[in-house]
Amino acid sequence: MSKRTLRKSMGYIKKEYPRTRTIPASWYLSSYKFKFNITHMKPFLDKLKQKKLVGLQCSSCNRIYFPPRQICGKCLVKPDRWIDLRETGRVASFTVTYLKDPETGEVLERPIVCAQLDGADTSYPAQLDPDIEFKDTYIGMPIKVHWAENIKGGLMDIEYYDSIEDSAKDLQPKEE
Amino acid sequence: MEKVGIVGYNQVKLYSDANYGRYEMIFEAVRGALDSAGLKKKDITTVVSATNDYYDGRTISNALTVEPGGGYLADESKVEMDGAHAVLYGLMRILSGNHKLAVVWGGSMASSFPYHTARLYETDPIWERPLAYVNDITSAGFQMRAYMEKFGVSAEDIAKIAVKNRKNAAKNQLALVEAQNPNLTVKDVLESEIYADPVTELMVAQPCDGVAALLLAPEKQALKITDNPVWVIGVGYNQETYYLGERDLSSSKSMELASKMAFNAAGVKNPLSEIDVAELFEAYAHEELILSEAIGFTEKGKGASLSSEIGGDMPINPSGGALGGNPPCATGLIRIIEAVKQLRGEANGYQVKGAEKAIASGQIGLCAQNNILYVLEGGN
Repeated sequence: MSKRTLRKSMGYIKKEYPRTRTIPASWYLSSYKFKFNITHMKPFLDKLKQKKLVGLQCSSCNRIYFPPRQICGKCLVKPDRWIDLRETGRVASFTVTYLKDPETGEVLERPIVCAQLDGADTSYPAQLDPDIEFKDTYIGMPIKVHWAENIKGGLMDIEYYDSIEDSAKDLQPKEE
Repeated sequence: MEKVGIVGYNQVKLYSDANYGRYEMIFEAVRGALDSAGLKKKDITTVVSATNDYYDGRTISNALTVEPGGGYLADESKVEMDGAHAVLYGLMRILSGNHKLAVVWGGSMASSFPYHTARLYETDPIWERPLAYVNDITSAGFQMRAYMEKFGVSAEDIAKIAVKNRKNAAKNQLALVEAQNPNLTVKDVLESEIYADPVTELMVAQPCDGVAALLLAPEKQALKITDNPVWVIGVGYNQETYYLGERDLSSSKSMELASKMAFNAAGVKNPLSEIDVAELFEAYAHEELILSEAIGFTEKGKGASLSSEIGGDMPINPSGGALGGNPPCATGLIRIIEAVKQLRGEANGYQVKGAEKAIASGQIGLCAQNNILYVLEGGN
C-alpha cells in the first residue's frame, strides 16, 4: 500500500479498514416543506379549542376515525360525519420509548400508548402520564385526556393521558 | 402461472461495518450470480435494482450503480422497496415475453446512515411524529405487546425464536458475525438491553451492510442455462393500511391474503404438509410467529407450539432469517436465495433434507405492513 493512502492526517481513513475511506457527510432532512390539507380537520381543531373531541365517521362503513382521516381507505370515500367523543378511552397497546433530553443529555424513559377513545374505532400513538410506572400499564387500561395549559387548537393540546380508575364516573355513559 | 426459473444467485457476506465500498459489493454480488450460472454481461437484457435513498443516506441511490449492477446499455429500473418486491418486478419483465435474462439485485449500507432514525420519517408527520416518538422499534413494541396480550404468549416463547434463528445463523457462513451465537440462551435474550419494552436487543434484526443478486429467466431459457433451475410457481402480495391505530397488530391480515394468493397460484392446499421449508423475513422475533400463523402453519396464537428448527415439522429460517443480518433492501432477496439453496441442496451446514417446495417472504413498512410471498419448487 502506498504511503499516500495511509496518510492519517486526512482524518478519514479507518485504522482497521485500509480498503475504504470514510468521508463524513450530512443530509439535512428537516429543511423541507410538508404541505397538507386541513379542510378535513378544521371542525376537529375548532372543537379542540373548546376542549371537546370529535371523530370523523365514514358514512359508507360507519367506522369512526380519531384522529380524523381525509380518506377512508376501506371504502375510498371521504368521511364526512362528525361524531362527539368522550374524553375517556382505553390503552390498545403500549411500549416504552427512550428520549434524550437535548439540553442535559439525560435519557428519559417514557411510556407511550396506542390510545383508543371510547366511541372511536381507531387508535393513535400518544404519551402517557410521565408519573405512571411503566410496569403498571396494561392493555385495556382506562385513560382520560389531560389537557395542556395553553390550548392552541392542535393535537398537542392533548398533552398526555391520565390513568383513571375502572369504576370512575367518567367511564359511565352520560344520562340525557 | 407460467413458470419462471431462478438460474443463479449470489450474496456477499454481511458486515455491520463493511471493509468495502458500496459499488464493489454490488459488483461482487452481480458478477458472482452471473458466474454461478456461467453467463456473461451480454446475456443480461434487463436489470431491476432495490435500493432506498433513506437507508443509503443520499438521494438517487441507484446513481453510480449502472456499471457494477450490470446495467450498462441495458434497461434498468429501481424498486424502492424490499428486494423481494424487485423480484416481482423482474418476474413481470420476464413474463412480458420481451426478456431472456433479468438481473435483480438489492442492498444497501446501513453503516453509513442511522437506519432506525431514518425510519422515524416513515410515520405520519401530522398525527404520529410530533406526539410519540414512534419508529420501527417502538411500533414493534406495540405489535409484540398486542400479540402477547391477545393470545397469552409469553416473552420466553418469543425469545426462543431469537435463540433458534441466531443459532441457525451460526451455521450460515454468510450471516452477520454479531448475530451468530451457537450458545445463546433464552435468558440472554430476555436480559439483553431493552429497546422498546418488551422488545430487547437480541430480538431485533440488526441492520447491516450487504448486497444480493438473483437471475431470472423464462422456462425455455432457464433449461438451456442450467440443469438445476428453481421455479417460481406462485407469488402473492398484499398491504395493510398505513396507520398503526387502524390495524390489528396481533395478526397479519396482509400476509394472510398474500399467502392465499400465492398458494392459489401454486395449487398448494395444505401449506403445513406440502411446504418443506420456509424462509420468512422477520424484522423482529415475534414477527416470525405472526407471519407463520398468517400463512396458515398453525392456528392464530399457536405459532410458538410449532417445531420450527431444522428437522422439525416446518423448518422456518434455517439460514438464520433476518435475525442473522438485515441489510435493508436485500433481506427479502436473501430469503429467496436461501430458499433456492435449500431446494438445490446447496445449503451447506443447514440443509433441510429432501426439500422440494419452499416459501420465501419479504416485507416493508412498520410492523410488516406490506408482505410478499413466493412459492418455489425444485427443478429436477
